Amino acid sequence: MTAPTCGVPAALQVRGVSRREFVRFCSSMAATLALPPKYLGVIASALAKADRPILVWLEFQDCAGNSESMLRSSNPPVTEFVLDLLSWEYHELLMAGAGKQAEDALERVVREHAGQYIAVVEGAIPTADGGVYCTIGGKTALDIAKHVCSNAVANIAVGACAWDGGLVRSNPNPTGALGLQDAVPGLKNLINLGGCPHNPANTAAVLVHYLTFHELPALDEYRRPLFAYGDIIHDQCERRAHYDAGRFVEEWGDEGHRKGYCLYKMGCKGPEATYNCPTVRWNDGTSWPVKAGHGCIACASHRFWDTKSPFYRRLPSVPGFGVDVTADQIGWGITGLAVTAMAAQVVGDIVRDKVKARKENAETPEPPQSRQA
Amino acid sequence: MKKSPTHVPPEWQWPAHGQVRIYVWQWPVRAAHWIIFVTIISLSFTGYYMHSPFVTPHGKTAYLMGTMRFVHLLSGFVFLAAVLVRIIWMFIGNRWSRWDQFIPTTKARIKDFLATGRYYGYMSWAPPRHIGHNAIAGFSYAAVYGMAVVEILTGLALLSNVLGNRTLAFFIGWLPRLIDLQWLREIHFLVMFGLWSFFVYHVYMAMLVSVEEENGVMESIFTGYKFLSESELRQAKTEVDGTGNQQLVDHVHRSECGEYHGGDSPPASGM
Repeated sequence: MTAPTCGVPAALQVRGVSRREFVRFCSSMAATLALPPKYLGVIASALAKADRPILVWLEFQDCAGNSESMLRSSNPPVTEFVLDLLSWEYHELLMAGAGKQAEDALERVVREHAGQYIAVVEGAIPTADGGVYCTIGGKTALDIAKHVCSNAVANIAVGACAWDGGLVRSNPNPTGALGLQDAVPGLKNLINLGGCPHNPANTAAVLVHYLTFHELPALDEYRRPLFAYGDIIHDQCERRAHYDAGRFVEEWGDEGHRKGYCLYKMGCKGPEATYNCPTVRWNDGTSWPVKAGHGCIACASHRFWDTKSPFYRRLPSVPGFGVDVTADQIGWGITGLAVTAMAAQVVGDIVRDKVKARKENAETPEPPQSRQA
Repeated sequence: MKKSPTHVPPEWQWPAHGQVRIYVWQWPVRAAHWIIFVTIISLSFTGYYMHSPFVTPHGKTAYLMGTMRFVHLLSGFVFLAAVLVRIIWMFIGNRWSRWDQFIPTTKARIKDFLATGRYYGYMSWAPPRHIGHNAIAGFSYAAVYGMAVVEILTGLALLSNVLGNRTLAFFIGWLPRLIDLQWLREIHFLVMFGLWSFFVYHVYMAMLVSVEEENGVMESIFTGYKFLSESELRQAKTEVDGTGNQQLVDHVHRSECGEYHGGDSPPASGM
């Protein structure tokens, strides 16, 4: 297994990809990156000239969902292009090699192409007990990530687990799992593509942006690309008009649900989640969760398993009150206590006045003068 | 006892015999009070609807949630302005609107806190008398301003998320990174009930104090004036003079008090 040196056009030609398909791919990438149309030519010529950079795809504590998501796209054939735009030297799910040969291939890339290859990481990295909860070829995930990622020219963390630890890191996190940025701090050119899973169109767009402009796209405070994570789901949602009107699904399968009303009352996290889910969509742009009738669970938000659950309620359960008690009940309970306490005090004050009056009457036959003033 | 020129019975005279009228709540204090009152009601109503829409509109052009959100945001910014004015006034206003009325710092205020607590706890017959707030009331208002600040900060953080406004995010962006938006929303919602609970107690306590102290506290939040007996004024004046603070006396000078115009010896009480 050696790193091929042929360019992109040759690789595409071998796969039988026509020029028309290539340009269509470039325009869809420009649209995903929110670039003006004039950049279509820039992207197309840059990709045509590009040498295929080497890519290694590391999988740690994951479900392979991000790899699967990458393979689920067919039209536009994002997978084909991404597979052909880059020379994939290591990807456990896809590679034919296994065992020592596969690990040797990874080692060869790190040794011979240090500072040139792109590392994609999928899955969280366990750090508890010396990282024994995920080992590949006798090495811990933490060691592999440190070794491979610190020698890469760019690191892409795909999916929630690789970004912030995702499901694996969620409470109580028995394996001490962390996302790539926390497990291996100080990585250069790190970009986080959160989401459960990542959207392959976004990942392809990041790679295209890198191949075209030789730099990462504009990032937010979590090092996520703004083109994909800069807008709120709610603002792009096709059910938004129902929200503004005040028409909501009250329970699953009711009249409103059949009519496609807003899922806000069912706990949809669209108003606080950012992602380009509603515009890029999934399965070749077929649909996305809210279109399919299920609320958003904010899967591209920071540590969403812990911070955004319960997924089917507007607000989280208040700690210390059990999961069945809603914030509404607690709030009304607080107010009820205040009203009760006040009522008790009203009774107490009336009693005090009566007792006081009787006491004063007993002491002085005439009412006190000051009361008349 | 002086004879009233209009032959009004002494107990109907205004100010009543033996009392002086004193300007306690300046107009920004009263304005802020009522603006905060109105906006909390409108914020609570629209906010509760935004949390759990309890009305379903009919018609093809309905814009109920949009309207509720608009009113909520508008009220929110008016509320913010009123709270800001009141907080600024805590530093430039008269002695009864200053910050030290809300947080007991002096020995006298702490003593007053305990004395008022004894009255509320049925351990004394009559409440201690005050020109401004009593120490417990003042402290509860400090809690209200605390809640108001929490509501403002969480509200701005939630708004910043919706607007995606860089300037707003620059000022408030630290908060969602510290506490997740979902929990900010929870806090924003629950603190509302804290304000409701305060409201319930506040109205009752104002009624109680108004009846027990007979100082016109209920009317004072409309007019700004409270009523003091001569003996109370003398006592307060001694306290103030003792600390070298002339403000109280100045205010009495300026106030349209019926018979007392300052000076070293208040006139003898009619009673």
